[in-house]
Amino acid sequence: MRPMLTLIRREFTAYFLSPIAYVALTVFLLGTGYLFGFVALDLLTKKGPVGIEYPMQEMLGDERFWLVFLLIPALLTMRLFAEERSSGTLELLLTAPIRDWQVVAAKFIAAMGFYVVLWLPTLLYLPALIGLQKAEFHPEWSLSAISMLGGVGAMAIILLLLAAPIRPGIKLVLFLLPLIALFAAGATLLFVDGSIKSGAVLSAAGLLGLVFLVAAPLLIGRPCGYRFDTLVGFVLGVWLLLAFAHTAYYGWRHFVKEDVSLIHIVSRIDHWPVVTSYLGIVLAGAMFLAIGMLVSSMVKSQMVAALISLGLSLAFVLPAFWRPETDTGSLDYRLRNFFSVPVHFHHDFTRGLIDSRNLVLYASVILCCLFLTVRSLESRRWR
Amino acid sequence: MIHVEHLTKYYGDYAAVRDVSFDVMEGQIVGFLGPNGAGKSTTMRVLAGYLTATSGTVQVAGYDVFWDPTEVRRRIGYMPESCPLYGEMRVQEYLRFRAGLKGIYGSKRRSRMDYVMNRCWLKDVRRQLISTLSKGYRQRVGLADALIAEPEVLILDEPTSGLDPAQIRETRGLIRELGEEHTVILSTHILSEVERTCDHVIIINKGQVALDRSLKGGENAAQLEELFVRITGGD
Repeated sequence: MRPMLTLIRREFTAYFLSPIAYVALTVFLLGTGYLFGFVALDLLTKKGPVGIEYPMQEMLGDERFWLVFLLIPALLTMRLFAEERSSGTLELLLTAPIRDWQVVAAKFIAAMGFYVVLWLPTLLYLPALIGLQKAEFHPEWSLSAISMLGGVGAMAIILLLLAAPIRPGIKLVLFLLPLIALFAAGATLLFVDGSIKSGAVLSAAGLLGLVFLVAAPLLIGRPCGYRFDTLVGFVLGVWLLLAFAHTAYYGWRHFVKEDVSLIHIVSRIDHWPVVTSYLGIVLAGAMFLAIGMLVSSMVKSQMVAALISLGLSLAFVLPAFWRPETDTGSLDYRLRNFFSVPVHFHHDFTRGLIDSRNLVLYASVILCCLFLTVRSLESRRWR
Repeated sequence: MIHVEHLTKYYGDYAAVRDVSFDVMEGQIVGFLGPNGAGKSTTMRVLAGYLTATSGTVQVAGYDVFWDPTEVRRRIGYMPESCPLYGEMRVQEYLRFRAGLKGIYGSKRRSRMDYVMNRCWLKDVRRQLISTLSKGYRQRVGLADALIAEPEVLILDEPTSGLDPAQIRETRGLIRELGEEHTVILSTHILSEVERTCDHVIIINKGQVALDRSLKGGENAAQLEELFVRITGGD
């Protein structure tokens, strides 16, 4: 696992060591900045009935935006394998003790990481877009709320522990505390709330975690000689996930049951379309990145990789431009909509809808491309 | 240490390596000789697990290259021909990355980096971008990378190509020293190099082993050249 982390880190920093990252960031921010500042915000702040219903649609629902946007994933992925192949470093990478699928996964994760970084600055537009007003704090100290905050605290402590430069042995002892607290919170709720489902799952998970912790050294068979670093990292990671699940679950319960939020923020537009838009952005981007990576793994020249992946990605954008008048129930209409990403955003994501058809398309293209990338790397073996 | 049996590698219809078998004992320095295109690099790539043999078996330290690739790669330090590197990284960064990739972290990584940078005379350039290094220094970085995980076997594809005479001498001395701790296979077509560094020579010609013999007898370069020319049928 750690060799993969090393590789992810290198691939991610490599973006910043070449001009590509800065070019992509600049072009991208200029583009989205224009769309936001001159299109969406303009319409949003107009008086009267001109104002628009879904501001995110102005940015992401436009097929012309996607036509230009396709350059970005192509730019980000063209170097992943093509550069290594042309400079010969691929040979070094693939003779290191790391599996082909790990190389592919690491590169994909790094590309995704940079892609997310690319979108982060756009979060700055949001307060203006949503028209945030002063946040109000309405504490409603129900058990669920306390448990949720406890979970947040546990996450914070675990994160601190992961990052803190202290001896792994001490970490191991220290992280037991939030773990036990979580376990206790889950168990208390089990009895107080009366609902078996709520606490039971997380308490059981907590118990399993404890058992694992005690059993791991015994299972590995070297009570004192095992790699503390790796084990502690793994256990902490698992616990971070559990704490996250705990927080999310009790946060949800708090939200649903008491129907009172801890913090109350008034905004001028609905926030869910924003959340789903960003979800869609990440998933659709992942699809284009996967396509780009596959192409990059098959060619030697970066330029060719970028152009081919651009061409392939167009298949998911161009159908949005072709809109003959047909029956909305007809097969070709549905097919066109199924394959055109801008339509997904125009109809679903920017309106706060998550349509499983879109997710199925993205997931299957991503998995297919990743699989083919691994095979294409392996092809050196039989060629 | 290395056991190669009936290794054959086809590129399409062209047989780059045909039915090659040899053994390398622990602690040996083996020179891999042959004219250009004889199949030296192909054999080494198969040994390092980059390519797969069309038929035949290759074992390193008891592990099969095809079935246990990661176990084998853990035990091999490989330096490809022409020594490709990431030019945009600094020497130190690069070695750090390679050590992490090979599963070495923490204090072990620090001490290994120190060791290889000392060993390969990289101390002065450790903050320099690799793309700004001269050929000789790049070669050293490649060698340092091969050494960093304390491999049992070193596979060096033309470690001295493109170096000036002083550098060749330095590298040769280094390889001799390394031969005391590692098993080394190096390919070259400089005969005097084999004579001075290796204690065993394998001459490969048209994809087949033409000669596999110890150099303990003390052949000099002239005799080797005689042998080489006779075997490869040059005129």
